[in-house]
Amino acid sequence: MMKEDNIIVCRCEDVTLKDIRELIKRGYTNIEEIKRITRCGMGPCQGKNCGQIILREISMITGIPVEKLTLQRYRPPFGGIKFSEVLGENNDEK
Amino acid sequence: MIETDILVVGGGPAGISAALACGRNNIKTVLIEERDFLGGQLIKQTHRFFGSKEERAGSRGIRIAEDLMNEIKKNKNIDLYLDARALGYYEEEKIFTVLQNGRMLKFSPRKLIIATGAFEKSLSFENNDLPGIYGAGAVQTLMNIYGVKPAERVLMIGSGNIGLIVSYQLIQAGVQVVGVIEAAPEIGGYAVHASKIRRLGVPLYTSHTIKKAIGNEFVTGAEIIELDRNWNEIKGTEKKIDCDCICLSVGLSPLVDILSQSGCEMVYIPELGGEVPVRNENMQTSIDNIYVAGDLAGIEEATAAMLEGELAGLCAANTFINDVKQDERIEKIKNNLEVLRSGPKGSKIRSGLNKLIKGETFFQGGRNTGSEIEAFKKTGIPSGENLRSILPDEKRINETPFALIECFQEIPCDPCVNNCPFGAITEGTDINNLPKIDYSKCTGCGSCISRCPGLAIFLINKNYSENTSTVSMPYEMLPVPQKGEIVDVLDREGKKIVSGKVVKVLKNEKMDKTNVISVEIPKEFFNVARNIRLVK
Ligand code: SF4
Ligand code: SF4
Repeated sequence: MMKEDNIIVCRCEDVTLKDIRELIKRGYTNIEEIKRITRCGMGPCQGKNCGQIILREISMITGIPVEKLTLQRYRPPFGGIKFSEVLGENNDEK
Repeated sequence: MIETDILVVGGGPAGISAALACGRNNIKTVLIEERDFLGGQLIKQTHRFFGSKEERAGSRGIRIAEDLMNEIKKNKNIDLYLDARALGYYEEEKIFTVLQNGRMLKFSPRKLIIATGAFEKSLSFENNDLPGIYGAGAVQTLMNIYGVKPAERVLMIGSGNIGLIVSYQLIQAGVQVVGVIEAAPEIGGYAVHASKIRRLGVPLYTSHTIKKAIGNEFVTGAEIIELDRNWNEIKGTEKKIDCDCICLSVGLSPLVDILSQSGCEMVYIPELGGEVPVRNENMQTSIDNIYVAGDLAGIEEATAAMLEGELAGLCAANTFINDVKQDERIEKIKNNLEVLRSGPKGSKIRSGLNKLIKGETFFQGGRNTGSEIEAFKKTGIPSGENLRSILPDEKRINETPFALIECFQEIPCDPCVNNCPFGAITEGTDINNLPKIDYSKCTGCGSCISRCPGLAIFLINKNYSENTSTVSMPYEMLPVPQKGEIVDVLDREGKKIVSGKVVKVLKNEKMDKTNVISVEIPKEFFNVARNIRLVK
C-alpha cells in the first residue's frame, strides 16, 4: 500500500498527499479552499510545487478535467519580502 | 517613478531577445532580472543547439548567451536592473513595482513584455522529501554555475531533453548516472540525445515510474516499477536501484503569476505545460499593452524562446515605430517558428497552440509522424535494419573513408548540411527531414563530425590496414586521450567490445571542445564501435 502520509505535496508548509485527498473527499474541491485550510501554496514558493499536483488530485477524485477547474489566484508580492523592505528602515541604516 | 517605453521582465533567452529587439530600434527599454546575472537557463546549456543556421544551430547555448549579454550591455537604449524582483502590476494605474536592494521601484511602462520563464514540476512519490532529491535544473545549476558535484550516483526521472542533457552533463562532470526512467512508452526528448547517454552505458527504462525513495536520513536508493499501456503499475515488477540522488526532470510549468495577477485571460493547456496566457500570434495577451515570450507562453526549447522574444519585442515596438523592415522581419520570425514546430516532435506544441484561442488555428499543417523507427524511439539505439538503411554500398565502404550519419528521427536541425564543405549532406526543403548523404561527394574529410549537436556522425575508414579499420568519433569527455593510447572501445550500448589504439586526436578552437578521436580496431567492428573509455 502506498503510504500517502509519506508523500509531500507542499514542501513549504509540509502538507501531505493524505491531507489533500482527505480534504477533497470531504468536499473541498476548489484549490483556493484547500489553500486556506492547509496553507499549501502560501509558503515561499507560492504554490509552484504543489499547485499542479493538487489540481490533478481534485480532477482524479471528482472526475472533472483540470481544464475546467478553478485555477490558483496569484497576488502581489510574488514571493516573500521582509518587513524592513515594506517599511523602508533598511535605507536609514546606510 | 521611472518612465520607459518598454519594460521587459525576465533576463532569460526570451527576455534578452525582446529587450534587444526594442533596443536595436532606438526604443527606451528597461530589462529587469531577479538574479544578479543575465542569461536564465541559457548560461547552463553547455550542449550545442539544434535548429537552423540562422538561429545559430550547432553553437553551444553558453556561447549564444555570452553574445546576447554583451549586446545588452553595449546597447545604450537598454537599462538593465539586476537583482530586481517583480512585485506586481497595477493595470488601472499602469504601474509596475519592483524590489531592488531592499527598495521598491515604480515603473510606468507604455508596454510590458513578460518573459518570466518556467519552474520545474514536482512529483508525488513516497519519501519525496528526503535529502538527495533535486530538480534537474537545480542539479544543472550546482554543476554548471557553481562547479559543485551534486552526487555520486544519480537516478534521472524523466527522459525529456532536459533529463537527457543533464544526464550527459552529469557524466561529463564525473558522476555516474545509474539510469533514466520514463513513464511513457517512448523517449520524451530527441533520440540523438538518448543515443549519446546509451553509448556511455546508461540504462533507459521506458514505461517505468518511481514508486518510492529509499533511505532514512538521505537517499540511498529508489524503487521503480513498470507501467502498462494505461499507465497502471504492474505488480511484481518492482526493482531497487542504488543511488544517492534522485533527479526529477518531469516537465516545466509556465511561471504566470504576474500575468494572472494583472488580469490577463488564462487557460489551462496541458500540452503547453499548464496555465498559460491567451495570446495572439503577435504574442499580445488579452490586455493590449502586455506581451509575452518564452516558456511562460508554452514550454518549448530555448531557440523558440529567443524567436518569440524578438517577435514580442518587435510587435510591441511596432506600436511606436512604423518601419516596413520590421514587418518583414516579423513575418520571417513567424515563419521560422512555424518551421521549428512543424516536424513530428513539434506535434505537442502545435496541438497546444491550436487550443489557445477559440476559432483561431495557429497551425494548418505540420507532420505528426515521421519516418523514424519505433525501436529507436524506445531505446535510443538504432536497429540493424536502421543501420543497413544508411550504409553506402559495399564498393564505397571499401574505397575511401566515409561519414555515417546515425540520425534517425526527424528533428528541426541542419548543422550537418551547412558544415559539409563538399555539399554532400542534404535535407531537402524541410529542416525536419532526415539528413541524406551523397556518397559520391563525401570525401571523408570529417568536418561534419564535431558540428553535429546530436553527436550522431562518425567517420569510418574500413581499410585502414589489412586487418584493421578506424572509426572517428566525437568525444566531449575529459581527459582527452593521447595519440597512441590504448582505450576500451564500446558499442552503442556502452559495452566494451575490444581494446583499440587511438591513432589520431583532432582538437582545435573551432571545434569548441567536441574533439574527434580516431581509434583503430579489428575490421569486424567498424560498424559496432561507437565510443571509447579511457583505461585508468
Ligand atoms: S566527411 Fe566531409 S565530405 Fe563527408 S559528409 Fe562529412 S563533411 Fe562532408
Ligand atoms: S545529423 Fe544533422 S540533423 Fe541529425 S542531429 Fe546531427 S546535425 Fe542535426
